[in-house]
Amino acid sequence: MNENLYLLESLKHSSPIIQLAWGLSSIFFIIILMLIMYLKYLRNHLRENEKIKAKYQEDYESYLVTYLYSGNEDDTFSSEQQLIINELKKCVADPFKRKIIISTLLKLRNEISGEIAESIDKLFIKLGLLRYSLAKLRNEKWDIIAIGIRELTQFKIKGVHKIIMNNINHPKREVRKEMQLYLVHLYAFKGLDFLNVLETSLSEWDQIQLLEVLQLNNDTEIADIRPWLKSSNDSVVIFTLKLAKVYNQFEAKEELIELLNHKSEDVRVNVISALSHLNIVEAKNILKNNFNERSHEEQIAFLKMMENVYENSDKPFLLEHIHHKKFEIKLFVMGILKNINFEEYALYEVELKKMLTA
Amino acid sequence: MNTTTLQIIMSIVHYFFFIFSAVAITSYIILAVISAIETIEYVKKNSFVNYKEILSSTFSPSISIIAPAYNESLNIVENVRSLLSSHYVNYDVIIVNDGSKDDSLSKLIEAYDLIQISHHINEHIKTKPLRKGIYKSTNPAFDKLTVIDKENGGKADALNMGLNISKNKYVACIDVDCLLLEDALQKMIKPFLETTDAKVIAAGGVIRIANSCIVKDGKLLDINFPKTWLEQGQILEYLRAFLLGRMAWSRLNGLLVISGAFGLFDKKIAIKVGGYDTNTVGEDMEIIVRMRRYMEDEKQKYKVAYIPDPLCWTEAPDNYKTFISQRNRWTRGTIETLKKHRKIGFNPKYKSLGLLSYPYWFFFERMAPVIEVAGIIYFGILTVLNEVRWDYTFAFVILAYLFSVLFSIVAIVSEELTYHQYKKKSIGFKLIMIAFLEPFVNHPYILYSAIKGNIDYYFYKKIEWGTMTRKGMTKA
Repeated sequence: MNENLYLLESLKHSSPIIQLAWGLSSIFFIIILMLIMYLKYLRNHLRENEKIKAKYQEDYESYLVTYLYSGNEDDTFSSEQQLIINELKKCVADPFKRKIIISTLLKLRNEISGEIAESIDKLFIKLGLLRYSLAKLRNEKWDIIAIGIRELTQFKIKGVHKIIMNNINHPKREVRKEMQLYLVHLYAFKGLDFLNVLETSLSEWDQIQLLEVLQLNNDTEIADIRPWLKSSNDSVVIFTLKLAKVYNQFEAKEELIELLNHKSEDVRVNVISALSHLNIVEAKNILKNNFNERSHEEQIAFLKMMENVYENSDKPFLLEHIHHKKFEIKLFVMGILKNINFEEYALYEVELKKMLTA
Repeated sequence: MNTTTLQIIMSIVHYFFFIFSAVAITSYIILAVISAIETIEYVKKNSFVNYKEILSSTFSPSISIIAPAYNESLNIVENVRSLLSSHYVNYDVIIVNDGSKDDSLSKLIEAYDLIQISHHINEHIKTKPLRKGIYKSTNPAFDKLTVIDKENGGKADALNMGLNISKNKYVACIDVDCLLLEDALQKMIKPFLETTDAKVIAAGGVIRIANSCIVKDGKLLDINFPKTWLEQGQILEYLRAFLLGRMAWSRLNGLLVISGAFGLFDKKIAIKVGGYDTNTVGEDMEIIVRMRRYMEDEKQKYKVAYIPDPLCWTEAPDNYKTFISQRNRWTRGTIETLKKHRKIGFNPKYKSLGLLSYPYWFFFERMAPVIEVAGIIYFGILTVLNEVRWDYTFAFVILAYLFSVLFSIVAIVSEELTYHQYKKKSIGFKLIMIAFLEPFVNHPYILYSAIKGNIDYYFYKKIEWGTMTRKGMTKA
């Protein structure tokens, strides 16, 4: 006791910097103790949470499977289904349980299709979950809005697209992306109308996602892509070029050829690739005539195109570039020449091999 | 020298140590806060990402995994299987056998039905020549695999050969013994595809320590905590570095290093800058600095991205000899890179790279161990001269110790709040224990290695490939 008092007394008379050091040490010590206790609680909580979550998930899954297979033939709810609905409705009020119900519904939704999948969508509405999802759209936090849109997408809730479209130029990319996916998931090509007014850039990642969702859709009615090829938003043009490839849009030939002179190199490279995919041979002569003025990437894209559309008459052009300073170009030219006349150009290949093979 | 002059010099030395420590601690705190904010934001954003679509898309960009191998016969077949099991659709695997003296090549030939093929090599970057040549599999199941057998030239040279061979837009450079998670490629490629306001030139991910973890068929089955303090200390060290440091540097666009164990690069830029430097032991750091420098010189907007998800698990040294040799190499790598690119340092032309990242690395990575050891020696001299103020000594040693423990515990809390990888019951206690012990069991060896690295750099310049003896991960 006396010793402690002595220490405190000597600390009182020590320099301010020592007092500061001990003060900070005490604070650090207290924080360490608090963090250790928090860590103990956190680890237990996470473990318990996982267990509870798994338990609820199992229960709800069994409810839902029973619900799905106990319906009346005339589309009305059976008494057993009604009981399950009532039971689940009680749980929906609790945010933790609600989250698990939604994830269980989704898990089942992804595993099945057809009428049973539709009855899950109906159950989503019947349980009042739609109300919660719509409320999320009015939230100030971007992540809550995005979750709301995603839920509406996953349960195929049509008819709210006007509210969702308000987020077309939302500052957060994630919200914009969820909005775009909602429109394309539910309205396929018609949903792509947002491209007309999109001001922000559509990233390559977003483009891949939209293309994959579109391809999942059975709707065969393809929109007229030509206006998007003239968009002032370069990312929209590039995305449309991908659409042209996937959906073989020969109708847009004129617009595609025009894009060969687009200001963006990315667009020009992509349009060459699209023209090549669509086998539009008219583009070949245009590109041959100004090959040297084009960038390296464009030249490579063009030579890839040539691999599919070469003719004997292309020989002079190819011979002109057989000693090009760029290896890739030389290799492409050699490959095409070889395809035109193997024997005549085999010698060149031997020479090239000597030069380049280690 | 009279007493007053000596006292003035001593005061200056004291202030120097004090200011250095205060600035270091403040910078750690700032970086930790930025990291925490950034990680929370990442986890939130990542919850909206659907990685499934990128997997099956024909538009997903092509990636080559380049894995150099040197005398990896023990695990090579299994390691390659792990690399071939990625869920990503558009990728290939290039194994560069860098003049191994063991039977790595014959094992690969046998396991994957390889045959020699003829191939044009576009020698963008000069490398050591091929030894036996290039191999592809006759089995369609392994058509993604290419094995190159070349003369020994070191890790950087092997990676450069991979860069020359790759026909893909992106290259993932990886240590062959690393266990790559199945979703690692799609997570790593994401920043390259979603960033629209700058060009992403490279991306790195979190490396976790796989010692004692259970692995089967190249897949991580069970995460365990290793038994030795050395290994446990490294786990804690990696948590601190990856969760409380790199995320912040990524936010500040100031990342100077992407772990050599796993990084994804824009191949075009990597080739433009001349590939990996074969004259350094810190090739992973050096190439990032060079790529950044190139982009700054070209005045192009760029970014080096960082993914806080645990994507790659690797074996860490389990004995002090290997540990010291590894850290020695890291130190020499840092010295070499900073020296080679000294033009960047404190140069406003290079903006945050020159005014923030470089000075930070110079003072708090390059110089910190030297200053710490100098401080210990100085303390020894003062003790001999009976000039030590013990009241100050106790106060500051305890403060420094508690700060280091606190920092480690914050890293553990961050891990629990985000990825919660160490779920088993007793691990929480062990992590806290090691947070208290690490300053005594690992730190002295880190200091020793750093000093040895400095001595080796200045007095015994030599390039080493890194000769860690592999035990192999625990198999199920």
